[in-house]
Amino acid sequence: MADILFIGLSLSSILLLIALGLAITYGAMGVINMAHGELVMIGAYTAVLSGIYLNFNMFVALPLAFFTAAAVGLLIEKLVIRRLYGRIIDTLLATWGVAILLQQAIRLQFGATFFDVTVPGLGPGLQNIDVPSFLNKPFDVAGFTVQPYRTFIIAVTLILAALTWYLFYRTRIGMQVRAIMRNPDMAASCGIDVRRVSALTFAYGSGLAGVAGVLLAGFKTVQPDMGAAVVVDGFLVVVVGGVGSLLGTGLAALLLGQINGIVAVLSNDIVARAVVFGVVIVLIMWRPQGLFSFKNR
Amino acid sequence: MANPALIIDGLSVDFGGFKAVDGFSTVIDDGELRVVLGPNGAGKTTMMDLITGNTRSTGGTVTMYGKDITNHAEHEIARAGLGRKFQIPSVFRDLTVFENFEVAVTKQQGVFGNLRFGLRASEKEKLDQIIELTQTSDVIDKRAGDLSHGQMQWLELGMLIAQDSRVILLDEPTAGMTQGETYRTSQIIKALKGQHTIIVVEHDMAFVREIAEKITVMHLGKMLAEGRMDVIENDPKVQDAYLGSGGIH
Amino acid sequence: MRLSDSPYVDVFAYGMFIAAILLLPLVMDDPFWLNRIAKYLVFGMLGVAIALSWGYAGILNLGQGLFFGIGAYMVAMSLKLQSYTSLQQGSDKPVPDFMLWNAEPGAPTDLCCIVPGSWIWQPFQAQWFGMVMSVVVPVVISYILATAIFRLRVSGVYVAIITLALVLLARLLLIDAQPLTNGFNGLTDLGWLTVAGIEFDPYLTATYYIIAVSLSVVLVLARLLISTRAGLILQSTRDDPKRSRFLGFDVATYQVFFFTVSAAIAGFAGMLYVIAAEFASPSFMDLTFSISMVVWAAVGGRSSLLGACIGAILINTIEASASETELLQESWRAVIGLIFVLVVLYLPRGLAGIGQETVDWIGRKAGISGRSRSGRVTNPSAAE
Repeated sequence: MADILFIGLSLSSILLLIALGLAITYGAMGVINMAHGELVMIGAYTAVLSGIYLNFNMFVALPLAFFTAAAVGLLIEKLVIRRLYGRIIDTLLATWGVAILLQQAIRLQFGATFFDVTVPGLGPGLQNIDVPSFLNKPFDVAGFTVQPYRTFIIAVTLILAALTWYLFYRTRIGMQVRAIMRNPDMAASCGIDVRRVSALTFAYGSGLAGVAGVLLAGFKTVQPDMGAAVVVDGFLVVVVGGVGSLLGTGLAALLLGQINGIVAVLSNDIVARAVVFGVVIVLIMWRPQGLFSFKNR
Repeated sequence: MANPALIIDGLSVDFGGFKAVDGFSTVIDDGELRVVLGPNGAGKTTMMDLITGNTRSTGGTVTMYGKDITNHAEHEIARAGLGRKFQIPSVFRDLTVFENFEVAVTKQQGVFGNLRFGLRASEKEKLDQIIELTQTSDVIDKRAGDLSHGQMQWLELGMLIAQDSRVILLDEPTAGMTQGETYRTSQIIKALKGQHTIIVVEHDMAFVREIAEKITVMHLGKMLAEGRMDVIENDPKVQDAYLGSGGIH
Repeated sequence: MRLSDSPYVDVFAYGMFIAAILLLPLVMDDPFWLNRIAKYLVFGMLGVAIALSWGYAGILNLGQGLFFGIGAYMVAMSLKLQSYTSLQQGSDKPVPDFMLWNAEPGAPTDLCCIVPGSWIWQPFQAQWFGMVMSVVVPVVISYILATAIFRLRVSGVYVAIITLALVLLARLLLIDAQPLTNGFNGLTDLGWLTVAGIEFDPYLTATYYIIAVSLSVVLVLARLLISTRAGLILQSTRDDPKRSRFLGFDVATYQVFFFTVSAAIAGFAGMLYVIAAEFASPSFMDLTFSISMVVWAAVGGRSSLLGACIGAILINTIEASASETELLQESWRAVIGLIFVLVVLYLPRGLAGIGQETVDWIGRKAGISGRSRSGRVTNPSAAE
């Protein structure tokens, strides 16, 4: 039983990792960023490329990916999202276009393909990164096998979640973000630089996606469309948890990850994912505002 | 005596311990024009929400022309003959003024009954009158969202008339209007008097004096006083309630 | 009064479009391309379905692929049973080849019981049954779904998320039911549509005409539907559902009706697609495909049925022309991504918006004015 729960916990942590960035860009800013998956992908490629060209290992790649993805996120915010605040469906559509552009940028090696140049680490093919060997050796604790890499992911996720919580609820900028969330006009008239804070918040959410990408790359092959596969799950977690509630996002990730894990053991992976979608549909119909949202009157 | 238009009996709502409307009762006669006054937070708009089914009440009943409409769905209450104008004008912004009227004048409720083209003769006749009354003929093909504030209010009033409601609730119909616009609005409302039973929530005392017959004053979710303008103005309880906001003016 | 508001402009535009697709075989005699265009006309029909629910009802259905996919599978089941791969399995009754591969040893070669649940295929031996089900099943499912969603007053982005989750759910179930549906591989090697003894080879001009005429009929009916009073009331519920309720309309009824009509069109499109493309695949229920439909409609013009239809046909035709080399195809995908971002940012009414502005410009230059819906002569200075 404990090992089933651990499988669920491991799935939960990956869901939370993806959802954490979305909880900020979607939950706090009302932007459905379909390119979030591509920011995850960019994080993964940062790890791949820094491994090939700079000989960086995964731990160094983590902060590098954060800043790379954050920079791309900032660019997306300045060029596209900025004009679309308050038009949630349009943000979904426009960022879908951005997602395609980012995928194609990797596939076409930022245009190098047109000149018959091949850049190792880019292009439509599959890539991998090396996980430090001590994270790959399972060890026993009290007669129970621990997968160190999974544990590492859970640990990093928890640290990031705690950090995000601290930023949002214990810092000045976090307070400004929450003020903008509730009422951007009021926040602006209180002297908050709404544009700057929004851009930074979006960049932070994007940076988290980059970190998720590095961790994902440790056990999944890296390819241009890897992000598209995870972004939907991330959204469902945020919506189920309740827009604007970090705790809700965490609990929803836990819930959906466990359901996925348990059903996968009882049946198979496909049915498990189907059940998760079913649960999500019922939950959204029942409580569109999310399981753990604050009440807006 | 004829069946009263609206009997409100002990109407209450409890928002998690806060009673916004608390055992409010009144009887409004057929064809009456009733003005509801009260300081901010007295529960006037909430009371309208409760009558129209926008908010579910937690106690009491609402009866319209002998029919119990307490907590029915909004569209059922509307079909029973109750129309409402909101404080912030609520019109179909992407439709033209004419299309707004066209929707409002539709008698058939269901989808299949409305799979038809054009206007019936009776509908056309009625719309002509309403366009005349609300003076919207110059803007008839304009998008409703592009109208001025006053025009939008008159459009919404016109829609209520087109809807043919027996009872009309008006929530601050002159809010944000210029003096001239307020005067026109009072003329429209006066023209409706007699054919419709009208309940108006309003702050503008000049406007209230212009139209009022009988006044109900609300305070803290309850009925404070009811009667003619001069009686209300000299009621010490009313003066007390308004003391904080400087009395009725 | 703008000229583009005049009903005659619409009649002209729709007439031109229908004439163009009906006359196309006269100038295009390459059966390969004609078949391709036929498929894109089907996508045009999907554009109509999207514009109807998104543009007119304000309901963004990100799972329209569900109804397209169901429509496709229903008729594909019938056509599969008509195919030689089903008829030559050593039994006098048709049995799909993939079921034999999945059957337990010794299972009877009969649809009743070759694999668990295969009896569900039995009625599909009649081709008409599959064709009717292509529309009936999407209608039933969308009706139930829409009733649940709109009675609970779920709206906006939540409808989009629910429909999106639903199409992904259905796709997984379809793949998981591998012995019944051939899983990832979908239904291939299908027979041809046969009506009154005539076989409709997908590369025949006659097959093209089935699709072109179907699209014309759907387009005109949908256009008429939105100009009825019910269509107007629907648009009112999109603008301000609360006001519609206070006018006495049960908003959910209208949303359910038009959501269902849109699903029926998508199901019908799925059926036509299988007739032209000779396969049905779970990829019809991929998220990418459902979102692509929305992209086509947005580029063409989300609140114009004809615009969305033309948008779908245009994008797919250009994509097909670009698919000669892989490099071109990949570049085109990037271009589409860019176009889409630009359309959302700068051209919210899509190509249809450009068309309308051009017509209005001609109207102003030529001093022609339309006749308004109100039929009233308005003071032009006030109307400006």
